[in-house]
Amino acid sequence: MNIEIAEKIKKVLVDTLRIPEDELEFDSELFGEDIGLDSIDSIEIIACIDELFGIDMTGAPREDFQTIETLTNYVETHKEA
Amino acid sequence: MDNKKRVVVTGLGLVCGLGNDVDTCWRNALNGKTGIDDVKSVNTENCYARKGAEVDLPNGELSDENYDRSSLLCIKATAEALDDAGLELSKEDSRRIGVILGSCVGGAASIDKYYTEEINGGKGDPQDIWKMSASAIANNVAKHFALNGTTANIVNACAAGTMSIAYACDLIRAGKADVFAAGGTDSFSSLAFSGFHALHALDADSCSPFNRSSGITLGEGSGVLIVESYEHAKARGAKIYCDVLGSGVSSDAHHITAPRPDGMGQMAAIRRAMENSALKPQDIDYINAHGTGTAKNDEAEFLSLHTLFDESDNLSVSSTKSMTGHCLGAAGSIEAVFSVKSVCDNVIPPTIGYSEEDLKTLKEKAGKLDFVPNQKREKAVTHVMSNSFAFGGNNASIIFSKVPAELPEKKVDERIFVTGIGKLLGEKTENEAEGLRAQFGSADFKAHGVKMAFFRKLDRFSQLQLLSGVSALENAGITVDETNENNIGIVIGTADGPLKEIADFQINAIKNGTEKGSAFAFPNTVYNAAGGYLSIFSDIRGYNATVANGIQAGLQSICYAVDVIRCGEADTMLAAGTDENTDIESSLCAELGILGSGKPYSKGGIALGEGSVTLVLEKESTASARGSKILAEVAGCATAHCGTEAYKISGTMSALEQAIEDACADAGITPAQIDAVCGFADGNEAVDALEADAYRKVFGKDIPVLCVKETCGEARAAAAALSAAYAAELLAGMTDSEVNCYTVSADGVAEGRFNTGSARYLLATSFGLGGSYSAVVIKKAP
Repeated sequence: MNIEIAEKIKKVLVDTLRIPEDELEFDSELFGEDIGLDSIDSIEIIACIDELFGIDMTGAPREDFQTIETLTNYVETHKEA
Repeated sequence: MDNKKRVVVTGLGLVCGLGNDVDTCWRNALNGKTGIDDVKSVNTENCYARKGAEVDLPNGELSDENYDRSSLLCIKATAEALDDAGLELSKEDSRRIGVILGSCVGGAASIDKYYTEEINGGKGDPQDIWKMSASAIANNVAKHFALNGTTANIVNACAAGTMSIAYACDLIRAGKADVFAAGGTDSFSSLAFSGFHALHALDADSCSPFNRSSGITLGEGSGVLIVESYEHAKARGAKIYCDVLGSGVSSDAHHITAPRPDGMGQMAAIRRAMENSALKPQDIDYINAHGTGTAKNDEAEFLSLHTLFDESDNLSVSSTKSMTGHCLGAAGSIEAVFSVKSVCDNVIPPTIGYSEEDLKTLKEKAGKLDFVPNQKREKAVTHVMSNSFAFGGNNASIIFSKVPAELPEKKVDERIFVTGIGKLLGEKTENEAEGLRAQFGSADFKAHGVKMAFFRKLDRFSQLQLLSGVSALENAGITVDETNENNIGIVIGTADGPLKEIADFQINAIKNGTEKGSAFAFPNTVYNAAGGYLSIFSDIRGYNATVANGIQAGLQSICYAVDVIRCGEADTMLAAGTDENTDIESSLCAELGILGSGKPYSKGGIALGEGSVTLVLEKESTASARGSKILAEVAGCATAHCGTEAYKISGTMSALEQAIEDACADAGITPAQIDAVCGFADGNEAVDALEADAYRKVFGKDIPVLCVKETCGEARAAAAALSAAYAAELLAGMTDSEVNCYTVSADGVAEGRFNTGSARYLLATSFGLGGSYSAVVIKKAP
């Protein structure tokens, strides 16, 4: 996993979705019970990823949104493509 | 027939995308003409949607006042309504005519203008700072027409217009006023456009409610009804359009933007409105539906309508938003005007936008209900219901009728007690310019069982309110469950609302484009989000209102909550005052040059504070049934208004005196019986002098004044609510037996000590910019 990309994604999640930094790990379940992201938050994640990396995640499968790790992998894969 | 309970409509005013007066709008609506066109006032260049229903008049042609566009739209509509009602204001007691208006976005156009000027290298116009809050609207309208009854801005997003009319009628029935200009207003704004765009809730084409349902189209406008006691209307020989029967307000306690899919909250409001009107579903001839055109709204509303009205043989339903767009806080008021016209003219405006193909689908979805597609329907119309549902899960329903009805007797004549208090207030920080800020974090939420997944969604304003609200419920020992959830309500007062979230959202949209709005932040920019979150977390499903009306809104919330209990709409109410202090608020106050030491009566300027204070108010029978502890009694309440100079901190003694005298009268005492005042002095020279002068005149004796702002700063609505909470704590013996005070005498103001032991009646007072005042008499518990 590209740590630089992961850190960028983490920062944007902390800043825009008010997730406490100390409770957010790269493998935290974003849509699980603890952090509890919902459909509005996923709109925000799509906008942020687009803003940061110029990658459009609209319509990407649910599993790509699960953790910072999966988001990072998605960005890495689609950056190279 | 008890004519004392009859409230009638005697005047109508309207401006919206369909036209600039009632007749034009009504004619166009009946002809199925749309007011929706390409948006002109917001840059939609990179947006997927570009439609809106704007009013075709620049600010200068709405009114010659220098106010925010939301106020100007409303002044135009109010002028038409007052003229239509034939009220000769010079012959009326202006103190018996009030102004209650709904708004969602308030001064969003001025916030946009201010920060656009700031960001583009220049400097924002300080006058725009005064125009930002929704608090300004009713005060501006009241001042323009010299009306001095109760003022309030009900800021419950898209239900605000309907709730304002409902509350005005409740106050008339309670004898608190003879006449109200009631309705709603909202200007078109980049805030709302960008927000709904971010949520993908805008239709790319004109909205098509109960049809394509792929999103809303925003509109702007204002609708105003002159509602009046039947006796007052009759005495002056007024023409009467129709009666206003009962209303119902409820809370979904489900989600901050989406309605409950099962329609339970909507149906609770609708059932309550019918019950309060002594009507059955079969009696309703026409429902002006909420009908926004989003899939979630339309599905839930179809379900509610089918569940409640499928037995009806003769019900027509239409969404006039298909022509006016969704005018947010004005929506309910505009639709109320159409509802009244429908009663009078026996004709129903259509829902437009159906193709031949759509009509076939509609037939399946509509069943027996007539959705009046594309063409108006002429038929006998006696009872019309108008429904509004909002962000935050607020639902409101109201019924207009050609004939008066024998309304059920629900008036509550019991004592009302303070049974719990929750407080979160600011403390001094190292940086003096920041003022006082509340210190709280994850641990505080977790201590009340609030999970991170919930509290992280909340902006600071909502977080403050959630913590104080939940603390108050715990302090009162109330467990919300299915036995009481519908009989507990919430009224929150605020001066400035969630200004930080609004300003940050706006600044982002200005810098990065309308299309870059934050879907996460937008739901929190509505003033009633805090009340919504509190109801969602605590499962409170009864009445739910947020009032923006300057600093005193935190005390007015208590007056409002008492009104709700007295008219039988709730057994228990949470009454709160909440305002935040962030970099946004402190920089705006610094710009206005009003900051200083915060020491009362020192003329040293104010120290900005923040916080949230919630009081649990309970009627005697409910409190004693559960054996709850009683802190004090809320013995009397009153609000008053007198227009004051704009764009500076100023007030008028006469309205404060009025509020005090009326509150004492409501408590059955004279001002001489008041032992001490919990006042509102904050270090501002004009405010403090006005307060002391008024007390000298009203009490005619030396009076001890307890200044809560000395410790919490100018926490605005939170401080106003605190003044009542502190009075209750003093009388309950929860403080030291002797506390600091300022004694106001004919000679001046001197620091002193107040012995709480023998005190029986304390008076909480507050003022608000724009000339509104509230006073509440707190009495020692029996």
